[in-house]
Amino acid sequence: MNGTATSRRAPANPEDARQYADWIVAIAASRDKAAFARLFAHFGPRVKVYMFRFIGTQEMAEELAQETMMQVWRKAHLFDPQKAAASTWIFTIARNLRIDRLRQRKHIEVDDADPTLIVDETPIADEIVSQSEQAVLVQEALVELPQDQRVVVELSFFEDISHSEIAERLNIPLGTVKSRLRLALGKLRTGLEGVS
Amino acid sequence: MNIKHHPTDETLLAYASGTLSQAMELVIATHMTLCPQCREKVAEFEACGGAMLNGTDGLAMNVDALDQVMAMIEQEGANENTIPAPLASPRRVAVAPSMRGNAVPSLPTPLASLLPENILSLEDIPWRTLAPGVKHFPLKSVQTKGSVRLLKIAPGISIPDHGHGGHEMTLLLKGSYIDDVGRFCAGDVADLTDDTDHQPIADTAEDCICLIATDAPLKFNGILPKLLQPFIGM
Repeated sequence: MNGTATSRRAPANPEDARQYADWIVAIAASRDKAAFARLFAHFGPRVKVYMFRFIGTQEMAEELAQETMMQVWRKAHLFDPQKAAASTWIFTIARNLRIDRLRQRKHIEVDDADPTLIVDETPIADEIVSQSEQAVLVQEALVELPQDQRVVVELSFFEDISHSEIAERLNIPLGTVKSRLRLALGKLRTGLEGVS
Repeated sequence: MNIKHHPTDETLLAYASGTLSQAMELVIATHMTLCPQCREKVAEFEACGGAMLNGTDGLAMNVDALDQVMAMIEQEGANENTIPAPLASPRRVAVAPSMRGNAVPSLPTPLASLLPENILSLEDIPWRTLAPGVKHFPLKSVQTKGSVRLLKIAPGISIPDHGHGGHEMTLLLKGSYIDDVGRFCAGDVADLTDDTDHQPIADTAEDCICLIATDAPLKFNGILPKLLQPFIGM
């Protein structure tokens, strides 16, 4: 747990990513408990580590990880594999639950049914790369990032601190935090655009 | 809506990672409702969050964790109707070209949900005068160490030159203003931090209405205190 949270060795695999999505679809379609058990085995400990980074106690991290997985079961019918990878969807559930519990409020989000929602009228070119494949590409791009960029991205996602607090923590100027983040985000995004 | 000014990538990342204050989230989610481009970026940043999550080694859960969760699921299953029915497909209304003026048509849900229920449009806001030509409506229910409010600036009125002690984010909802950075119209966001100095001027014949959130603790170094100071003696 000291140092970085992401593992350099675990190879990201599109087959796995597709499998996770299929399990969620199976839960939605037929309340498939075996699929849920497999999904739980993979994501439960990962959500726990996420919660632990914010909370610092095993007990509450465990509780919130269990609750996140409960919500995965309950909300499985809302999962759309065309819109997000399984890992992305579970991340947003964990993030929202953390904000709900630690800040006692809801994460403010766009309402897809909002009549004021402005939709891009230019049709997006056919998505050649699926969300699962994209998830793997992002994960690979993250691993490829230089250490100094990876650290700021990681702190952004795994700690409840602002960019100026990241600057204090790393003892670097705020401008440096921002430029490293911008570089990292640029690479993560061009990685995606390069293939789609 | 022809949006030219967007939140910075770092701010959108902080929104996706869930580390912004509620005040800033409100501005971002309201802007995102009007901006497909920023919705797309946030989805990409959330995918980064997912990749980070998937890439961790994990922390072993209690041996009986799955059993416990399964037991809760069984309990819910005994009362199947606690499981929500699938939602009908989202109602997406593209804004017809004729509706696309220089104002937000009605209140985007993220903003509407934090306003009193009787406020259905910008017309319903019970403005309070802050200074000549400047009215405001504070959103008191929003958590922030700074402030969040709607601001209405009369044509030709200029806000005194000011810098920003902390993060200040402004979403234009109606009308426009011009400052050193450029011209801001409905849907545009001015995402300002640090020492950006600017002196916005409402530059058309109509009122300029915007949503302004700040994160700085009340240190009276921002735009509103400067306005307030001479009039209410704060």
